[in-house]
Amino acid sequence: MTGLSLFPAILLDIIGSAANIILSFLAWRYARLLAKRQPDNFVWGYLHYVTFAIAAFATSRAVGHLVKQFLFMADRADIWAAISAYSGGFNSLFMISVAAVMIFYHKGVQAYEALEHEAGKLKTANLDLAGAARQLRDLNQNLEQKVEERTEELSQSEKKFRHLFSASKDMVFFSDADNRVVDMNDSGFEMLGYSREETSALQLADIFVDPTYIETFAKRLTEDGYIKDLNVDLACKDGKVISVLLSATAIIGEKGEILGSEVIAKDLTRLKMMMEQLASSEKMASVGQIAAGVAHEINTPLGIILGYSQLLMDDVQEDSDAYQSLQVIERQTKASRKIVADLLKFSRQSGSTREEVDLNEILADVVAVTEHTLGLSNIAIHRQFANGLPRVDGDPEKLRQVFVNLINNAHHAMQDQGGGELLLRTRINSGDVMVEIRDSGHGIPEKHLAKIFDPFFTTKPVGQGTGLGLSVSYGIIHENGGTIEVESPVHDQDQGPIPGTLFRIRLPPSGTGKQQQMENRSGIPA
Amino acid sequence: MKPNFLIILALTPIFMAVLFCREALALQTHGGAEGVVVHQFAHFQYLGALGYLLWDIRRSSFSGIGWIYLQRFCWLMMIWNGIAFIGHFAQVALPDGSISTEDGYLSALLLLPFSFGKWVYYITALDHLLCTPALFFLFLAMRSFYRSLDVPKKEQT
Repeated sequence: MTGLSLFPAILLDIIGSAANIILSFLAWRYARLLAKRQPDNFVWGYLHYVTFAIAAFATSRAVGHLVKQFLFMADRADIWAAISAYSGGFNSLFMISVAAVMIFYHKGVQAYEALEHEAGKLKTANLDLAGAARQLRDLNQNLEQKVEERTEELSQSEKKFRHLFSASKDMVFFSDADNRVVDMNDSGFEMLGYSREETSALQLADIFVDPTYIETFAKRLTEDGYIKDLNVDLACKDGKVISVLLSATAIIGEKGEILGSEVIAKDLTRLKMMMEQLASSEKMASVGQIAAGVAHEINTPLGIILGYSQLLMDDVQEDSDAYQSLQVIERQTKASRKIVADLLKFSRQSGSTREEVDLNEILADVVAVTEHTLGLSNIAIHRQFANGLPRVDGDPEKLRQVFVNLINNAHHAMQDQGGGELLLRTRINSGDVMVEIRDSGHGIPEKHLAKIFDPFFTTKPVGQGTGLGLSVSYGIIHENGGTIEVESPVHDQDQGPIPGTLFRIRLPPSGTGKQQQMENRSGIPA
Repeated sequence: MKPNFLIILALTPIFMAVLFCREALALQTHGGAEGVVVHQFAHFQYLGALGYLLWDIRRSSFSGIGWIYLQRFCWLMMIWNGIAFIGHFAQVALPDGSISTEDGYLSALLLLPFSFGKWVYYITALDHLLCTPALFFLFLAMRSFYRSLDVPKKEQT
């Protein structure tokens, strides 16, 4: 061996040069793509320049090497000798360029870092701003949510109180400082008979029966700020008077002035009537007691008077004046005994039988007897008898007398107006037997309602009635463990109040009323 | 940025030429070994620039495989610059007649006896074993940078 072959170096030079061109351009390609993808990124821009310079240098060098190798292989070293200086010059130039670009990197990075720093500050400021905006947005959203929640709560509360106001069965209204009604619930309008359109013109003076109560109302509101349980009478639109229990609260303004009032009024008319009826019942019990005593005391002398007058009549001539006088005594004594007997019936001192009776049958009997007379007075009879009506315990004769009394009263009430309609109805209500006798007559004045069951109370002319009919009926019904009520005018569920009178008799069915009957017996003394 | 870069690019060879001129004449001649010297300085400058780039990459704590590839490029290219720098001197110092091309260029031989200078010449002639891998790492670095742009999108998907 005379030396070491340079072939590996030549081959490596050729292959390496070609590979250098390819690799450097591939590197430049990716750097260019990077710069295109993110043109604002300085680093990619810098790498783009660097790889471009390297590619230029690698190409210059590789081309020079390849040309050199191929010229040498072609034995044209002379050509290479002529151009090698240019190739070397280009190599140096591009190498220096690569170095210059790389050194320039430092300044670029500094500028980039400065920019990054400023951008970072801006970014931080932006983040802070975004955070503040987010907080503000959250606050806003929370605020909106809270407002929504509060609105919903207020709405629910308003709905609740609106319902309380509108659905209340008591009268609720608001008045202003001038005692003008500004708003009223439906129950108030129903009680007073006004319509909602009339509210604006409605004054407290229009509905307070006694004007002095308005002064009391205003005075107590001013002094106390409220009114509790003031019993006043209110005038309905149709003139009817209702008794109410009134409570009110003053609406106070910011300066302490009274702006108006909130008023709740409870209708006590029915309660008052019931109280009056209760008082009447108690009075009736006392009257019955007195009547029983009086009747017993009078019955004996009347019997003696009647006996002696009849004995005397046997002793005198029939055509004599004395006989006629004795006949008058006998007749009047008998009339007196009749009254006493009625009094005893009212106080239940008279004897009676008890058996199971069918009220439908009794009513039918009574109607059969009175129908003709009623027809003459143009009174139409309507029967609404319930089927399968339970029997009741009682004296059929006395019960018949009750119905005769009530139908006669109805007849009298409708006779004056030239006719009318009489409704007889039986039904079962809460297990009790109910008999209703309703006429379309002139009705009973309110002031008389509490007195109609009083003995000797009558509105008929003197001599036409004893005033004992309803008293006796009252006594009989109570004797049978029942109740009797009167309603005038009649409150119809569909048509409202209609003229006329309704007597409602409630009797317990057979077998169940004994207990109650005994209790009632103790209510009105024998 | 771009005008400054171009100015530097244009002025650097002139600056180098002026720096290393031998005669202060109005029109300077550039004969002899001037070309080699300039080329050697260029290698030196290139090496320095690569070293600076390497130092700055490490200083900046850039993360990612692309920057590791770029550092490897810098290292290999710096070594190559050193090898090439030495190789040029070795080539200049190679005695005449050290290479025989009697049997053709492809059969050229580095003739015996071998001296240190000849070994240096032979080894440095294989400089592509350094610069080609260096450029391969440069390619890998650029490709990694480019692909890294899509990583966040992939992660999102």
